[in-house]
Amino acid sequence: MRIVLTVNGATRQIDAPPTASLLSVLRDDLGLTGTRFGCGTGQCGACFVLADGRAVASCLMPARQAAEREITTIEGLARGDALHPVQEAFIAEDAMQCGYCTSGMIVSAVGLLARDAAPDEATIRDALAGNLCRCGVYARAIRAVQRAAGTRRVAGGSPPAMST
Amino acid sequence: MRVEERIRVDPDGSVTAFSGKVEFGQGIRTAFAQLVANELDVPMERVRVVMGDTGQVPFDFGTFGSHSVAQEAPALRRAAAFARGLLIERAATQLGIQAKQLDTKDGIIADGDGKRISYGTLVRDAPLQGEVPEDVALLPPTRWRHIGKPLARVEARDIVTGRARYTADIRLEGLARGAIARPPARGARATRVDDQAARAMPGVIAVVHDTDIVGVVAERDDQARAAADALEIDWEMPKGEEGATQVVLLRQDADTDAALASAKLKRSATYTLPSIANASIGPSTAVVDVRPDGATVYAGTHRPFGLRDAVAGRVGLSQDRVRVVPQMSSGTYGRSSAPDVGVEAAVLSKHAHRPVLVQWSRAEEFAYSPSRPEAVLDVAGGLDAGGRIVAWRYEEHTNVHTAAGPDPSVVAMTSGRNAVPPYAIANASVTLHVEPTPLRTANFRSLAAAENVFAIESFVDELAHASRQDPLAFRLRHVDDARLRRVMERVAEVSGYGRKTADRRGLGLASTLYHGTYVAQVAEVEVSTSGAVRVLRVWCVIDPGLVVNPDGVRNQVEGGIQQSASWTLLEELRHREGRVATTSWDTYPIATFRDAPESIDVLVEGDVSAPSTGVGEPGAVPTAAAIANAVFAACGARVRDVPLTRERVRKAMSAAAV
Repeated sequence: MRIVLTVNGATRQIDAPPTASLLSVLRDDLGLTGTRFGCGTGQCGACFVLADGRAVASCLMPARQAAEREITTIEGLARGDALHPVQEAFIAEDAMQCGYCTSGMIVSAVGLLARDAAPDEATIRDALAGNLCRCGVYARAIRAVQRAAGTRRVAGGSPPAMST
Repeated sequence: MRVEERIRVDPDGSVTAFSGKVEFGQGIRTAFAQLVANELDVPMERVRVVMGDTGQVPFDFGTFGSHSVAQEAPALRRAAAFARGLLIERAATQLGIQAKQLDTKDGIIADGDGKRISYGTLVRDAPLQGEVPEDVALLPPTRWRHIGKPLARVEARDIVTGRARYTADIRLEGLARGAIARPPARGARATRVDDQAARAMPGVIAVVHDTDIVGVVAERDDQARAAADALEIDWEMPKGEEGATQVVLLRQDADTDAALASAKLKRSATYTLPSIANASIGPSTAVVDVRPDGATVYAGTHRPFGLRDAVAGRVGLSQDRVRVVPQMSSGTYGRSSAPDVGVEAAVLSKHAHRPVLVQWSRAEEFAYSPSRPEAVLDVAGGLDAGGRIVAWRYEEHTNVHTAAGPDPSVVAMTSGRNAVPPYAIANASVTLHVEPTPLRTANFRSLAAAENVFAIESFVDELAHASRQDPLAFRLRHVDDARLRRVMERVAEVSGYGRKTADRRGLGLASTLYHGTYVAQVAEVEVSTSGAVRVLRVWCVIDPGLVVNPDGVRNQVEGGIQQSASWTLLEELRHREGRVATTSWDTYPIATFRDAPESIDVLVEGDVSAPSTGVGEPGAVPTAAAIANAVFAACGARVRDVPLTRERVRKAMSAAAV
């Protein structure tokens, strides 16, 4: 069936099976592979995207249902070369290892900061609890969200320099 | 080693380094670039590292054992230093100046008197070539501009923007999707496949039955899965043959029994750890394009050359006709040592005549991936009147830990890893029993070291308490190695080990020497009256010799501790007769943001005069014992069975209160 989506500010038309998930449409029909497949059951957060500003599991959302919403994926956060502050903060804190869960984590954090500009640590943990990370960068990711929110005092030692 | 196998300088001044190792998020691409940039004296952004591409890199056994930096740092540094020397020689000829009057900076060679030439210019006519001598001179530490610098990962920007390409993101022309019909039991073989219904389903390109692989190739992933589910298959179940237990003597001092019998204080205990899952967030994935004259394999793999050979053998191509091009991969912590998903995609591609992407489902990943085996560890120890350990008997019962299986020449190093304690003990016997299991077990971070060190470091703690000695001082009495001693003393210092903690809180110490890397950790936990354990803080001091990227080391070690805390408190892969019952994040929970400790403080204090050793695994090794020892300190409950569930801790608290 024909589905019309609004993704990262652009209107996109695709032809996909009526049962297709938003995740499969993003990845396979629109070439937006930055949103990752992790479990297909909404339990890991790797596929999170923003739907009308809220982080949702794109693996569980039928693409046709997404048609009524404004979808933002990890690819839609930067403005040209200017990264979103949350993206900058994840680099500054080196809050990643394999990076597979990072897209979903950043999406959750952006969704959180849109509704709570200065969340406390417990709020950050709760908001990102749906984003599993096996490499174990939770502590760094919490610091990254605090840094992006401006609630983290960056005292003493400088953060790692960018290598590129 | 020839320089052109490792380093290429192009006329545009860019540098390419080649390594058989593979990046899974350990940060080795960054570390390798730092090493090469350092010795070649070029800016970091000039260096690109080709990793694991069997068409481009020298043979390598694989990425495991935390060997990457230990093994590659000397080779890459020597090759880069040699390349720099060759460039200076060429510059001397071209400029007509003696080589000793020339020096390098940022890819330029100059004489300090206005004459200069770029590396790129010097390779315009002929690429760098030559055998790298063993004794090539490296830049002195005063000239280091990249080694030792804390750098963010070179892939960081691609990762945070979603541009990073993982295996599942490859979109070849004509790419089709594959799904495998899984047998009801491991080793079952399909004797009849009725594919009539499946073939008629939308999108189906081919149904494949090739010996032990049955699967479907379709245009879309969901179509392939639906069709695979629609196959009617008769399975021949495997015969339940019990293999033999392999017994390996790792240390046998003749007087152990006598010393134990005559010891002043004797204790024995049994520790158990369950099977656990590697539990990658991204399930196993491969894209393979098999053509009549050759095949290309895209995958995250710890063993690119092993995967190449497995695919070649299976699809009937010679090894030099198969190229494995490793992709960015979800961290797999050892799981991708097995070639399985790559072989499946290759077989499907061969029959469908299309490039095929196979990505396992979450349930497949839990149910069919190799897991870390169970371990039962029986320990007995005896102290003399002075409180020193005079006898130690250790029986390790476990299963195979690697894809190599029960190869007698390797099990001591794999299933027996770290079974021999790093302490000076006069009489010790350490025996490894590798038992058969119906579960598919293989490589997982640190192999058996995490299990053995849990038992050893818990038991040492028990001996210290039983003899009323401070656990740190008791350990130090048995440590001859100055570096091990130092990390223990330092972690005690930074954590305030020995201080009084708040009620129901406690500090626990554990340490290890893993493949040349020294690690000591202190965990602070809080135990609720109902037995729930919360890890509040962890301190770690690590000495991995010369450190290339201190922040990279910290990140790896923090992650190892976080992952290990998850194993210790939450994880157990449940199975019956080899069939895994815990096949989702619901039934196999891992630590989330809510469970993360308030802080993990890693102090990287490498001995710069010692060679670089690995950090991917050792951070994860002592954590379980540090937590269990902290639980004992907090509430008197000695829990010898991992995971430390609320129920187990509560029972142990009741037992301790009697």
